[in-house]
Amino acid sequence: MALLEVTRLVRRFRGLAAVDDLSFTVDEGKTLAIIGPNGAGKSTTFNLISGLLPTHGGSIRLRGADVTRAPAHTRTRAGLGRTFQVVQPFLDLDVLDNVTVGALFGSDRHRDLAAARAEAARLCAFVGLGEHLTRPVASLTLADRKRLELARALATRPALLLLDEVMEGLTPAEEREAITLLGRIRAEGVTLLLIEHVMSTVRDLSDRVVVMDYGKKLAEGTYAEISRDPKVIQAYLGTEAEA
Amino acid sequence: MRRDLAGWAAFLIVVAGLPWLGLGGDRYLMLLANVTLMFMTLALSWDVVARTGQLSLAHGAFFGLGAYSVAIAFKLWALPPLLGLVFAAIVGGAIAFALGVVTLRLRGIYFAIATLAFAEVWRTVALQVPDLSGGTVGIAMPPLFEGDRIASYYVIGTIFVLALSLSLAVRWSRWQYAVTAVRANDTVARVMGLDVVRVKVGLFTASAILATLAGAFYMPFITHTDPFDAFDIGRSVSALVFPIFGGLYTSAGPVIGTIVMRSLEEYLRVTPPWKDGYQVVYGLVIVIAVLFMPRGLLGLAQRYAGRWPWRSSR
Amino acid sequence: MEALPQTLLFGVLRSGLYALTSLGLAISLGVIGVVNFAHGEFVMLGAYIGFWLYVLLSGPLGLGPAVSPLVIVIGIPLSAVALYLVASGIFRLALRPVLRQPELNQMLLTFGLSILLVNGTSITLSPQAKDANLDWRFDVFDLGFASVTYARLAVFAVCIVLVLASYVLLQRSRLGKQMRAVAQNRLGAQIVGIHVDRVYEIAFGMSAALAAAAGLMLVFQTQVSPYVGLGTLLKAFSIVVLAGLGNLTGVLWASLILGLAEQIVSQYVPGGSALRDGLFFVIIFAVLLARPGGLRR
Repeated sequence: MALLEVTRLVRRFRGLAAVDDLSFTVDEGKTLAIIGPNGAGKSTTFNLISGLLPTHGGSIRLRGADVTRAPAHTRTRAGLGRTFQVVQPFLDLDVLDNVTVGALFGSDRHRDLAAARAEAARLCAFVGLGEHLTRPVASLTLADRKRLELARALATRPALLLLDEVMEGLTPAEEREAITLLGRIRAEGVTLLLIEHVMSTVRDLSDRVVVMDYGKKLAEGTYAEISRDPKVIQAYLGTEAEA
Repeated sequence: MRRDLAGWAAFLIVVAGLPWLGLGGDRYLMLLANVTLMFMTLALSWDVVARTGQLSLAHGAFFGLGAYSVAIAFKLWALPPLLGLVFAAIVGGAIAFALGVVTLRLRGIYFAIATLAFAEVWRTVALQVPDLSGGTVGIAMPPLFEGDRIASYYVIGTIFVLALSLSLAVRWSRWQYAVTAVRANDTVARVMGLDVVRVKVGLFTASAILATLAGAFYMPFITHTDPFDAFDIGRSVSALVFPIFGGLYTSAGPVIGTIVMRSLEEYLRVTPPWKDGYQVVYGLVIVIAVLFMPRGLLGLAQRYAGRWPWRSSR
Repeated sequence: MEALPQTLLFGVLRSGLYALTSLGLAISLGVIGVVNFAHGEFVMLGAYIGFWLYVLLSGPLGLGPAVSPLVIVIGIPLSAVALYLVASGIFRLALRPVLRQPELNQMLLTFGLSILLVNGTSITLSPQAKDANLDWRFDVFDLGFASVTYARLAVFAVCIVLVLASYVLLQRSRLGKQMRAVAQNRLGAQIVGIHVDRVYEIAFGMSAALAAAAGLMLVFQTQVSPYVGLGTLLKAFSIVVLAGLGNLTGVLWASLILGLAEQIVSQYVPGGSALRDGLFFVIIFAVLLARPGGLRR
């Protein structure tokens, strides 16, 4: 069933279309990756979907319900989670408390403080931060901060999780750990929508790929299909699609 | 939390018993006690809004609005002061709600500027409607409880307890997480499912109502005010200096900060070079606090004395 | 309606002072990104320097008619340099360490400074307002449709010259280019080798110098007291907000609008002379309501 339907989405900045007539669908259980050269409009698309930017045209449906005009927090409570490309933990809170925020407010369950904290602790352990619950966020490594981003997003009980360049800045070993973790998240029933630059991740994780360029959808298909598409290769001119 | 609750209960018992501990007979000391509770209310209310990351310079204006509401209600409808408090709370709440909605999307600095502009304009407004406000001459009303300072002490005491309750309720409930998240990063807070609009506007309105109540008490207590007294920018300054000095984002901080700084102020006000410029100390405190003591007195105590009855860790 | 040409003229003349006052604020906001709540106090201190000069030149030195022009000629450089040094010191001691802290801390710091300066002045000098009886405040120039005091003309002329000189500095000089670079992109500026902290310090000093010059000219128009800062600050804010963040040319237009609006309201609206003082509020909130997303860099 279609979890997310993006139809003819438009967003302009000072007359320039950052997202131009974009349409795609994410089916439950099927991982979709959005790729494209820098400036293609990928992060803008995420901001439109999660409700941080108003649209200038088009519609967004989450589980069949129209959320185009809904505020961000409503979309989250309806099952949409996201992480940010530049990780943004709440610096004034420690690790456990960061995740607790998501557990408390991200859905209609766990309104009780004690239950929310327990859930937060469980999620921290799930992502591998079990040892660091009371540490101040500033002392975490980048990989751990990304785990925190994930745990916090998971605490909002998403049906669909938007992952914005999760692999950026990770070492190859960390990348492999991340892929394993994402696989476990998928196994929990969460559908993933990723923006990625690291092609091996896209190849390994995604069921379908949408390629964006200049705000438009350039191509769509399986990884194998789009990596052979001459339009896609041209857009990435100079960049080798990793084998 | 239970330990803190015990501490606060003890504190409140002492406060309630103050008139019976020998202070009751001294009119000057009772005046101080009344006024200190009033300022503690103001400080606590400011601190609550600061927790969402908003630096309000308008709290002094709500104080003035409270004072004028009670006075005008008495003048027009002979509304007794205790009912006047209710009227003032409604007026203050409505205006605060409107201001909160308008300033909602403003970044920190623009929010501060907007609240400063809001605060400053009321003096002009009051001067413009002399039929209602009495203009430069000001407005007067009979004293609360015919000047019985012990009775009025319990009135402001009740208002203070309301303010303290709000402050503690936010700290000890899941709202502590909400305000801290909103303060730390309100965009991400939205994505975490927080209705940031409701948090900011709701707390701002509640806080402003308390500031209004403090001013509404002030009017019958002091029996006369004018636009320069009611809307004195110094009160907005006090509202923020006391919590910053005592310890931001806590409940004990505003209380302790008020007691210490107001005592200092009482001394300075009658001592020659400082008389009119005693607020220079406030400026100094703010600068020193920002540079060296960001967690205020409580933060210092935490650092040097280890555990402190009122924890300010979260 | 016969008063219209005079009203418009006064509005234009007044806008000169507003432009000079706001330009400094726009620079510190645009280049450093800090809202300087003490800006009004820099103006106030400039005014006190002007007053002190007036007393010195007309009293012990008894220079008579030469006092007015001398206050300007000596006072502008004197107040500008003095406040530049004061601001520079403030920057190094207090502001620079706070630049890495959250915005609200920076705001609190300058707010605290403002209170310090107002009350410090009130204590060390006197809380009483003082009037400088410069003869240019009374000598009148008859233009036919209006009579203008020498003071208004002088204030306008001096302010416009200083504002234009500042624009030239910002557009043409190397320093100006550095300041604009830093204003647009701090990291990029650092990468090309611009010493950002030094640019900040100079920008802050410059904004104080401009404020002080504006303050000096205030003695030709109004009473001097420790409390003139707040009203000045609010008007400057309303102009900067109206002009738009980072828009330095906009400051000229916004100043003109405020100057004209004040005179028109004061002349034609019943009860206007008091409403005039509330215009800053109308402008600020009108702008904020029209651009509810706040103001972007």
